[in-house]
Amino acid sequence: MRVSNRFIILLLLPATALYFLFFLVPTLQALVYSLYDWSGFGAAPVFIGLRNFRELLNDRVFWTSMGNTIGILVIGGVVIFGLAFVMTMMISSGIRGKKFFRSIIFLPNIIAVIALTTLWGYMYTPRTGLFAAVFTALGLTELARFPWLGPDTIFIAMMIAIVWAEVGFYLVLLLAGMDKIPPDFYESAKLDGASDFQQFRHITVPLLSDVISIGMVLWAIHALKIFEFPFSFTGLEPNPSSYTVAVYLYILGFGQRQPIYRLGYATAVGVMLLLAVILIVLLLRRVTRREVYQY
Amino acid sequence: MKKSVTIGLLASLIILSTLGIGFVGAQEQITLVYWSMWNETEGQARVIQAAIEKFEAENPGVTIEAVWNGRQNQTLVRTAISGGQTIDLMDQDADQIAGGLMREGFALPLNDLLQQPALDRDEPLADVFLPGTLEMFALDGVIYQLPYIYNTVQFWYDKRVFEEVGLEIPQTWDDLLAACDALNAAGYAPIAAEGNEPGYAAFYLTEILARTKGPGWLQQAAADPTGEMWRDPAVLDAAQKTRELWDRGCIPPETLGYVWPQGQNTLAFGTAAMELVGSWLPVELQNAVDPDFQWGGFSFPAIEGGAGSTTDVYALLLAFMINKDTEHPEEAFKFLQTIMTDEIQQKFTDEAFVGVTNKYIEWNPIIADAAAAAAAATTTYGDVDGVASLYSEYLNTILYPTYMSLWHGTITPEEYVEEMATLSAQYWAEHPQS
Repeated sequence: MRVSNRFIILLLLPATALYFLFFLVPTLQALVYSLYDWSGFGAAPVFIGLRNFRELLNDRVFWTSMGNTIGILVIGGVVIFGLAFVMTMMISSGIRGKKFFRSIIFLPNIIAVIALTTLWGYMYTPRTGLFAAVFTALGLTELARFPWLGPDTIFIAMMIAIVWAEVGFYLVLLLAGMDKIPPDFYESAKLDGASDFQQFRHITVPLLSDVISIGMVLWAIHALKIFEFPFSFTGLEPNPSSYTVAVYLYILGFGQRQPIYRLGYATAVGVMLLLAVILIVLLLRRVTRREVYQY
Repeated sequence: MKKSVTIGLLASLIILSTLGIGFVGAQEQITLVYWSMWNETEGQARVIQAAIEKFEAENPGVTIEAVWNGRQNQTLVRTAISGGQTIDLMDQDADQIAGGLMREGFALPLNDLLQQPALDRDEPLADVFLPGTLEMFALDGVIYQLPYIYNTVQFWYDKRVFEEVGLEIPQTWDDLLAACDALNAAGYAPIAAEGNEPGYAAFYLTEILARTKGPGWLQQAAADPTGEMWRDPAVLDAAQKTRELWDRGCIPPETLGYVWPQGQNTLAFGTAAMELVGSWLPVELQNAVDPDFQWGGFSFPAIEGGAGSTTDVYALLLAFMINKDTEHPEEAFKFLQTIMTDEIQQKFTDEAFVGVTNKYIEWNPIIADAAAAAAAATTTYGDVDGVASLYSEYLNTILYPTYMSLWHGTITPEEYVEEMATLSAQYWAEHPQS
């Protein structure tokens, strides 16, 4: 049965209308509000042109939060994909219990972020935390008192927790791609004397390029707008030095404990975040663009 | 006949008019909408529910519809009012209301209403409040908030540890340092603290400057457009004292790694002796400490030659605010009168373990030292000496991050002074005060 184009368009219309109404229109409105001085309440917005963006250039908290966000994107991305690849290769090597390992590693993805951050917070606690207990048992009392969540190491500590929580999702993505690669390719390569690394380099990576590309884009979007994890990991009232861009936007626009309420300025932060997402996604798509293999 | 018709008509009129009054009365059933900063299961919420029941029983024509929003209440109220929703009254931290809805002109002035008598006393309601509470956030003499819960910031300590080590309550900064040495020698962490919590760390900056320069000075320094007030020797001294707490071992080095509530938990575990924090601490730790734990509280010690006094109290109040656009200001205020009755205020302290603003109420023994400080207060000042409500963005982008760098030891006291002076001047150049 051939379905007409008009019928398909008709079916797509409700979803498109909703997308337009609840995503595109607010996005365009945000672009407009970023040009206003507005608390989001009470007094009418005042048009100030690009002043919000000029202020952002000198806002050191904004640049600190941008640095933290880019750090999560780059360092987290490298570690997550590196680990996901290694674990994909191990799990796909024919070991028993493939589903078990896959499920266990994916498990953090189905747990509420607040529970994960609480868990990691207590693991890192000096003297009484899990790591402290292990170090104490090993007689390493100095390490048992080490402030993992201190200013020098809190970012690394948070990255470890984020990587642990996120790697399962990308592992599942890569495993699904691996399962689609015909085993004959590897058998032929083995007969031709290819090493494991050569098989990985010349079969796995090229045939997974689409999955890798989509995975990287998904990670980039997630990392750039990451909010819940750093917000709940860093305490009752996060220290501004550990803000991400999304956390800073929230504090400026809606307030945590401080009644700042600068929605116009917060919207400018949001516009910068949107631009960063678009730029980085375009960059990633360009870098990962390659010939698509049909198999 | 004519007479009986007249009587009949009159009787009908009386009956109809009575019915009419009854009808109008039914129409005048009033519903007040109250949005709350509490979650429904919290002790404070349960007391407010009791107050609502009492109020509704005493005022049959009025019902209160409560919405339990939790701590993001003000943000939700703003959004709801923007959307055209009717909210008659709300509550939140008084500092936050002062910097939010009150500053934006949405609060009803209460001065005249406060002259009405208290429901259970023969005196104006205004006279029922503890000194310094009602006027704390007044603007040009106009009172917009009705504070009903009173938290004090003090050192909260484990009395048994102090007795074991033979310590008296520190009266001066030097006494505090001596107490640290004694506690360290006895194997205790002298001061518990959160390593990464700017709001808690800044208690020290606020208190040191309040003792050396007097309450209100930090607020002036924050608002100084030139930033030069930060070069006052008292700021360097405050920064040096902050570092002294760490360098001398008053605050143990592993504290850097404590994220709330890990620091305060060390008090409950019996490894630390005291913490500078709000009077909510004994309540927060009541399930963590052993049953014999004895709480004590003392005011931040005096600093030699300082302009401030130990009777100056760092007060964190929680308050009600009536929406200026409410159609029922009298009824809304009557509910606040109910909140301030001895019965309800006593319930707050007995059942929710908090301090209250009604001066006739004896606070729960667990926070008796907070009650003594509140009763003896000669001056009260709000969060970060009022900076939190007046200059919240400055606090979040300049004062907090820079003080946290000092707190963490990543900058020296001298660098702190220089950074505060420079960054403050830059900030005010970009954000001129109207």
